[in-house]
Amino acid sequence: MTLWLPLLLPLAGAIVVLAFKHHRTAVRMALAIGSTEVLLLGVCAWKVRTCGVLQQGRYLRADGLTLLFLLNLALIFIVVLAYSAGYLRHIPKGRFSSPRWYYALLFLFLFTMIGAYLSANLGMLWIAIEATTLASALLVGFYNTKGAVEAGWKYLIVCTVGIAFALFGTIALYLAAVRGGIPADAALDWTALMSAAPGMARAHDLVKLAFVFAVVGYGTKIGFVPMHSWLPDAHAEAPAPISAMLSAALLNCAMYALLRWDAIISHAIGASFSHTLLLTFGCLSLLVAVFLMIVQRDLKRLLAYSSIEHMGIVALGVGIGGPLGLFGALLHTFNHSLAKTLLFFTTGRVRDTFSTLRIDRIRGMGRAIPFTGAVLIIGGVAIVGLPPFGLFVSEFAILMAAFISSHYLLAALMLVAFSIAFGALFYHFQHMLTGEPKAPLASSRLRRSEVAAICACSICLLVLGLYIPPAFTSIIHSAMAVLQ
Amino acid sequence: MGLVVIAAAKTLASSAVFLFITVLLIASAKRTITCITLFAAQCVIITAQIVAMACLRRSGEAVAVAVMVLLVKVVAIPYALLRVSTGLKVSPKVSSATTPAQSAFIAAALILLAFAVVQPYARDFALDSQMLAAATAMVLTGGFLMVSRRKALMQVVGLLVLENGIFLLALTTTFGMPLVIEMGIFFDLLIWVLLVGVFIFRIRETFAHVDVSRLRRLRG
Repeated sequence: MTLWLPLLLPLAGAIVVLAFKHHRTAVRMALAIGSTEVLLLGVCAWKVRTCGVLQQGRYLRADGLTLLFLLNLALIFIVVLAYSAGYLRHIPKGRFSSPRWYYALLFLFLFTMIGAYLSANLGMLWIAIEATTLASALLVGFYNTKGAVEAGWKYLIVCTVGIAFALFGTIALYLAAVRGGIPADAALDWTALMSAAPGMARAHDLVKLAFVFAVVGYGTKIGFVPMHSWLPDAHAEAPAPISAMLSAALLNCAMYALLRWDAIISHAIGASFSHTLLLTFGCLSLLVAVFLMIVQRDLKRLLAYSSIEHMGIVALGVGIGGPLGLFGALLHTFNHSLAKTLLFFTTGRVRDTFSTLRIDRIRGMGRAIPFTGAVLIIGGVAIVGLPPFGLFVSEFAILMAAFISSHYLLAALMLVAFSIAFGALFYHFQHMLTGEPKAPLASSRLRRSEVAAICACSICLLVLGLYIPPAFTSIIHSAMAVLQ
Repeated sequence: MGLVVIAAAKTLASSAVFLFITVLLIASAKRTITCITLFAAQCVIITAQIVAMACLRRSGEAVAVAVMVLLVKVVAIPYALLRVSTGLKVSPKVSSATTPAQSAFIAAALILLAFAVVQPYARDFALDSQMLAAATAMVLTGGFLMVSRRKALMQVVGLLVLENGIFLLALTTTFGMPLVIEMGIFFDLLIWVLLVGVFIFRIRETFAHVDVSRLRRLRG
């Protein structure tokens, strides 16, 4: 029950919310179901923490790695839910763009992501990750403008093609596993794969082929360059809380799938092949993203490219490997999701006040909306990896790992990329924050729920930067134990 | 029983050839509706193949998969696509970047490439090289359709052909994945087609055309 309940509640919630036509009741209902869900996830996390591994039936399983990512998802979801309650007033009325559809789709999105985390089987994992695309495509196109429809279409097509490659990879690994002597009905369970991985070494080339396709497939969802083309469009055109969900929850979800794959392949044929591939994609994403950040003209696209950059950093951390690299990478997924959520939350207010997200048309934020301006600065300082925020710790850990494992060139490249990202972000941010507003501004007020969501993110970021609670460290260590 | 087994073996032996024919025809078809029908025909061949396998291996699971393929890919998806294509009331032409003759030539080249690519794997794993080549050719042609056709609907057909190829690969290499997984994949595919239908109508509503090569507002 501990695993089934948090999995199925969002699905039930989606149906229940759809039944409420009245705006206020739908929002209240969604908040109630969402908080119950987060409580259930908390209970589930606590049980995993005490038991180590929870397995229910053949297809549901939770262990240390699941725990870390589930906690992340629960945290992001609850702040997004709180923020959405106030944000929904901006969404124009349409047939499918009512609050109840918004919440129903949001719950479906949550359901598919929890499904991905709880699945004990690479096939189920694939199905759940494909389902995340399906559940979120309508949310990406929620505004129903020209841009939103185009972004939604692109998202649906590009991600499905990408994920189809991952299916091919899954089939190839299945073939290798069956030929390696694992019984056919267990040959996709990743516990069976982990323990019997050395048997697959005979089908060396096939395992490599499988991993290449898996990296390309799940890498499309993560936003690795050059498969990233859907990412900036989807992030820029979706409503602000959905952009936060995409960047902070969805990318991590795909990264989780790749981490599982990487662990299996490393067990089967040694780590050097899979890690080299991750380093290549990580480096490429990091470098291309930071250069593209310089030329961005839209605030949300700028943030989207920064997400690609950070996913590249995570891939580098995993690729460098070792305890420190992996620790940094896992911590970085957590920190990045918090900082990016915070930044996307500010874009809602900016769009509301300036009626645009074009960076060159936004001036004088500091004077016009001082609170949001301050949050933008906090988020900016956090996202470029400056102390005292969490991303400093995780980026520093990954850099240290690079030096320790004598990847000096890589470390130098990372430092260069970090400074370019720093320059790009602050060049754009100072333009928006300073000066005088050009056009007359629409007056808007932040709702209490929005302020609460923003404060929660900032406090978590600050805490993780100053001091990582021992309980959290041990969660990350148990996640690392699963992967090694 | 002997006759059934012979028929099953014959079906398996000849289905690759039929699949190559559908691939060539889809590539050279001029109308969207023809493409959708050909896709359905392709799925009928695959269904026949699964049934033949079920006969030879006496597997109940394979029968269940065959029924699913029949319901989802032969009936539901082509029906939905035909509804979309008639509901859109746009020109029935596929509007390709290449002429039908060029497309057929490229598809033929892709089939040759597929044969060359699969040889080592077929040898190492003692698999039917014709079926592997057919599956790979379908993946490649599906990709080719997606990059060369401008209509939104044709991109969908391209992706479906690509997915069919991957499905066939699973079938020939491992006799299909576990049944639960197959069901999940079919469910995803069905929802995907529904969503794509929704988006195609939205594209027509907001842009007044369905030419996806002209969707280029979002850049950089």
